[in-house]
Amino acid sequence: MLKLEAISKSFYQKLALDEVSLNLEEGEIFGLLGPNGAGKTTLIRIINRIVEQDKGVVRFKNELMNNKHLAQIGYLPEERGLYRTMTVYDHALFLGRLRGMSKNDVNTNFNYWVDKFEIGDWRKKRIEELSKGMAQKVQFICTVLHQPQLLILDEPFSGFDPINVELIQQELKEMKAQGKTIMLSSHNMKSVEEICDRVALIHQSKKILEGRVSQIRESRKDGNFAVRFSGSMIAFVNALWTGFELVDKEILGDNRFVAYVKMRGENNFQDLLQVLLGQIQIEAAWEVLPSIQEVFIQEINHSNQTQDEK
Amino acid sequence: MKNSWIIALRELKERMRSKSFIAMAIVGPLLVLGITYMLFALGGKNKTHWNVLITDPNAIMQAKIMAQEDATVSYDFANDYIEIEDFANNPRFQKYDAMLEVNEKILNNKTAFLFYREKPSMQMATRVQYQFERRLEELMIAQFTSLSVSDFRKIKQPINVAMRNVYDPRDEASDMSGWVGFFFGGVILLFIFLFGMTILRSISKEKSNRIVEVLLASVKPRQLMLGKIMGIGIAAFLQFALWILFVGIGLYVMRETLFPDLLDASKMDVVQMTEAMKNQTLQEQMLSAKEYNQFVELIYERIRFGNMLGYFALFLAVGYLFYGTFFAALGAVSGSESDGQQFVIPLIALLFLALYAGHYALNNPTAELTSWFSYIPFTSPVVCMVKLAQGYPEGQGYLIYVSFLILLVSSMLVLWAAGRLYKNGILQFGHRLGFKQLFKWISRA
Repeated sequence: MLKLEAISKSFYQKLALDEVSLNLEEGEIFGLLGPNGAGKTTLIRIINRIVEQDKGVVRFKNELMNNKHLAQIGYLPEERGLYRTMTVYDHALFLGRLRGMSKNDVNTNFNYWVDKFEIGDWRKKRIEELSKGMAQKVQFICTVLHQPQLLILDEPFSGFDPINVELIQQELKEMKAQGKTIMLSSHNMKSVEEICDRVALIHQSKKILEGRVSQIRESRKDGNFAVRFSGSMIAFVNALWTGFELVDKEILGDNRFVAYVKMRGENNFQDLLQVLLGQIQIEAAWEVLPSIQEVFIQEINHSNQTQDEK
Repeated sequence: MKNSWIIALRELKERMRSKSFIAMAIVGPLLVLGITYMLFALGGKNKTHWNVLITDPNAIMQAKIMAQEDATVSYDFANDYIEIEDFANNPRFQKYDAMLEVNEKILNNKTAFLFYREKPSMQMATRVQYQFERRLEELMIAQFTSLSVSDFRKIKQPINVAMRNVYDPRDEASDMSGWVGFFFGGVILLFIFLFGMTILRSISKEKSNRIVEVLLASVKPRQLMLGKIMGIGIAAFLQFALWILFVGIGLYVMRETLFPDLLDASKMDVVQMTEAMKNQTLQEQMLSAKEYNQFVELIYERIRFGNMLGYFALFLAVGYLFYGTFFAALGAVSGSESDGQQFVIPLIALLFLALYAGHYALNNPTAELTSWFSYIPFTSPVVCMVKLAQGYPEGQGYLIYVSFLILLVSSMLVLWAAGRLYKNGILQFGHRLGFKQLFKWISRA
C-alpha cells in the first residue's frame, strides 16, 4: 500500500531522517512511535508531499507517489486548526473541494458523518461557537470526508477527552475492517497498544525498531508473571523463598493482592504455582508481557547508551 | 490552478462578509466625494469673473468661442504672439486674468497653455477648459466633416490645457491636471496598503490557527499563496467597483443639487453643435447632446476618465500583485503576529516612498529622477498615474507601456521568490524572524 524506501531528509545540515524505510500493508493500523523531535512529523509531511525528501522513494500502491495520489490520503496534522468564523458545513465543503470532491459527494458524506456523530445541530454553527472537543470531531470528519484509502493521523488523540478517544478508536477499527490503511503517530501508548497491528520506533532520525505489536512484546518478555490471590502477603513472600523474586505488588482490598514475580535460576511458571499452592488462595495467574511503553523506554535508553559509548 | 481558485473563492467570501469591507465601501466614496466637493466649492481663489485673452496668431478660433455670453468669463482675442513677460508686466494687459495661448499645432497635439496671474478656482479652470474644448471640437468637425464617425471620435480627444503661473512659467507644479493623477495614484496606494495588510493578516491567522498544514496536504504552497492574493485581489476590485458606482451616483446627485449653475452646458453648446453636426445621424446627435449635458461627463472628460480608468485598473491590478506578494511572503515567514508587524514597516516605508515619488513627479514632471521613478516598480504605479494625467509628451506615449511591462515582469519575479519564502517559511512557527533566516529561506529551493 505505502512503501518508504531509505528516506533521508535534513534541514540546514541537521539530519531529520536517516534512511528510514517502512512498509504499510493494506488494511492495517500502523503506529509510528518516537520521542519528540525524532522525525515523525517530518516523515508524515514527506508522505503528504508537504516536504520533499532529499533521498529515497515513496511508493503508493506500487506507483511512485505523486500529487494525484493525495486525493486518496486523509491527513490530520498534529498542529491542526479551523477557520474560526466559518461554519462547520462550509469547512466540509471547502476542504472536500480541495480534495477533489463534487458538492454532491461532500453533501452525501457529510450527512453520513453528521448522523453518525449525532451533530446535526452544528451544521450551521461557526467554529468559534464550538467547544474544543466538538471542533476536533469536525476536524476528524473533514479528514475522512473524501473516503481516503490511506489515513495519516499525527497525534490524533492529543487533547481529546477519554470518550472521544474511545469514539475515534472505534471509528479507526471500523475503517480498518473496511480495508482502509491507517498510519498514526501517538504518544498515547495505551491506544497504540490497543489498536495498532504493527509499530515502528523512530529515534534520533533513525528507525530503531519495527514489528508486530504482539511479537515485539513477546520478544521482550523477561520471565515475569502475575498472580492474583487472597491470603497473607507474608505467606506469599515466604513461599517464594530464594527461587523467585517479588518485583511489584498491587493491593486490591482486604487480603487480596496482585503480585508480580520474576523467576530465578531454572525455575518456571509451573514451579511458581507449586510453591504457592496451599499457602494462599490463587484466583488467577498469567504471564506479564512488557507494555509498548516499557519497550519504548527500554529501546530509547538502550539507543542513547550505545550512542554515549561511541 | 483549480485549487487556487477554491482558495480564492473562500477568501473572497470571507472578505465580502466582513464588516470592514462594507464600511470601506461607504466611507471611501464619501471621502472621494468630499474631496471633489471641496475642490469645486472651496478650491483656489474664488474670483467670480475672469477676463481671458486668447492669443491666436493663426486665427484658428476665428475670434469666436461661445454662442452666448457667459456671465463669469469674458474673452478677447489677439491675433499676434504675445511674450509671457510682456503679458505679465505690460500695463495694457493688466485687465486680463489669464492668457490662453493657441498655436497652429493645437489641432494635432491638443495642448494649449493657460498663463494665469492668480491660480483659478477649480470651477473657473474647468469652465475655461470646457468652453475652449467645445470650440475646438466645432472647428475640428467643420474641418473634417467628410470623416467617418470613428475618425471623429478619434479627434474628439480631450484637450490638455496646461496651467502655468505667468510670473513663474517654468513652475510646472502649477499644472493642476497632474493632481488628478496623483489622486488616482494615492488611491492605488491606499488599496495596496489596505488589501496588502489583509493578505498579511489572513496568512498569519492561518498560521496561528494552524489550518495551514491541513491545506498544504492538498494544495501546493505557491497555489495557496496565489489563491490568497487572487481572492483578496478580487475583493479589492469589487470594492473599487463599488467606489466607482457610489462616486458616480454621488457626482450626479451633486450636479443636480449642489452645483446646478456651475456649468450649464446645454445652454451654451447645443445650438452650435446641431449646426455643426447637420450631417450626423440622429443617434449620434442624441449621443452628443447627452454627453454635453452632464456635469458628471464633464468631470470625466476633465480627467480623461476612460483613459485614466483603464490604466488605473491595470496599474492597480499589477501594483497590487507586486506589493501583495511581499505582504504574502511576509505573512508566511513571520513567526508570530508581532513579527509581521515589525517587518511590515519597511513595506510601509516603500509605500510612502511611492507617494513621495508621485509628489515629486507632480512638481518636476520632466526631471530625470521622475523618469526613473516611473520605471521602478515600487514607485511606478503612482508616478505613471501622475504622468498620464499630465499627458505624456508627443511621441512618448509608449513609455507608459514600458513602465507597465517592467512592473509586470518584476511582479512575476517577486512572485517566484516569494513562493520560495512561502514554501520554506509557512510551516515554521514560533521563531523570531531575522534577515539571516530570510536569506536562508529564499536561497533554498
